[in-house]
Amino acid sequence: MAATTESVRADAAEAPLLNKKNMILGSLLYVVFYGWVRWYEGVYGWSAGLDSFAPEFETYWMNFLYIEFVLEVATAGILWGYIWKSRDRKVMSITPREELRRHFTHWTWLVMYGFAIYYGASYFTEQDGTWHQTIVRDTDFTPSHIIEFYLSYPIYIITGGAAFLYAKTRLPTYQQGLHLQYMVAVVGPFMILPNVGLNEWGHTFWFMEELFVAPLHYGFVFFGWAALGVMGVVNTEVIAIAKLLKKDLA
Amino acid sequence: MSASQSAVRSRAEAVKVSRTFDWLILFVLFFVVLGGYHIHYMLTGGDWDFWTDWKDRRLWVTVAPIVSITFPAAVQAVLWWRYRLPFGAVVCILGLLLGEWINRYLNFWGWTYFPVNFCFPSNLMPGAIVLDVVLMLSGSMTVTAVIGGMAWGLLFYPGNWPVIAPLHVPVEYNGMMMTLADLQGYHYVRTGTPEYIRMVEKGTLRTFGKDVAPVSAFFSAFVSILIYFLWHFFGKWFGGTSFTQSA
Repeated sequence: MAATTESVRADAAEAPLLNKKNMILGSLLYVVFYGWVRWYEGVYGWSAGLDSFAPEFETYWMNFLYIEFVLEVATAGILWGYIWKSRDRKVMSITPREELRRHFTHWTWLVMYGFAIYYGASYFTEQDGTWHQTIVRDTDFTPSHIIEFYLSYPIYIITGGAAFLYAKTRLPTYQQGLHLQYMVAVVGPFMILPNVGLNEWGHTFWFMEELFVAPLHYGFVFFGWAALGVMGVVNTEVIAIAKLLKKDLA
Repeated sequence: MSASQSAVRSRAEAVKVSRTFDWLILFVLFFVVLGGYHIHYMLTGGDWDFWTDWKDRRLWVTVAPIVSITFPAAVQAVLWWRYRLPFGAVVCILGLLLGEWINRYLNFWGWTYFPVNFCFPSNLMPGAIVLDVVLMLSGSMTVTAVIGGMAWGLLFYPGNWPVIAPLHVPVEYNGMMMTLADLQGYHYVRTGTPEYIRMVEKGTLRTFGKDVAPVSAFFSAFVSILIYFLWHFFGKWFGGTSFTQSA
């Protein structure tokens, strides 16, 4: 193949394989942002989040919900749109070094997905348990739900979608079709968000109670299993990277 | 791309790249598995894991091992069977416990003010170590399922006993006898979880007294064996590298 292609800029060869600055800034973005969110919950959960009919609930929680809806749709549209629009149309012609560099960028996205999944599925989901086992809800849009369902879940969906799109549009490894386990790892956790519909509908029958192991919650469990699809992504990546490095490591 | 071109400039760089990927893979695998495992565990066995007054001799001992052997079996199916890495179960439990401890401290205590000695997570590490060691020594999925799965169920209660025993001491309160854990639940009111929801010591098995825990553990071990088999194959599928055909 040609040493240079339309897809590879002249200075790309000199760029670092792993952009550590992006990795650190991306990680900080999640950690600092969610630290702030947790602070907000601590301050306004008890003081303004107990009675959904109170004016302060509208001020501090419903407005938070409306703002996050707008920002999430905008972020998803811009980010996914940018990744798709700027896709490499000659992805099969890139140099091995450029391919390796893109694998590192892909892994930067996957690390962000790790942060996003942790906060969404672990941190804010179990937090929701202690809130609802403690506080009797009078709305679907409780403080813990406004953060868990409508903030942390969309964020991991946006992050996972971006990682998948990046791989699909820039890496030769993913050009032979749609990677099944990768789709499961991204689409499965995504389905947790629509499952919120079932959850909220069911909870209208049992508004006063929160039993975490209730069958009503099993939809979340089923789709949570899909996170294991990351093992298929890891295996695919190991095969691809080993192929790139095999000659030099022999 | 050309097979003659190299992605790296030297062997040293190749080694460095390889090591860097190892760390990235470990980080991503750890946190994504943590997320999936934690949401699975909290919604299938969580109530018994959240509160000491749910940690009884019957249902906690039965449910927790059965629902928790799932992800370790699946991750072992990839880490051992593809890479000969003998820590699939331990890495799952480390992830789960990290997620749980952060939550119990920062949220159960930090947001809703339940003391940590009322809401600490169950200890699953002894079973995980045995599960990994059995797989490493035997190299057999069947032996791991039968011996390791059984150990997983049987070791759960002894593994938690040093922590939970002081809270199972009987106390008399307002003329009623209960455990210290029951008393914690009585004082630390959870408005959304009334007493009739609590599933502890149900049925006539409790009349066997001291035999409740061993019987429950043995039943749990039996089901854990079956679940291990099932989730081993789940893990194999999730670790696949198949593509749908391009359009």
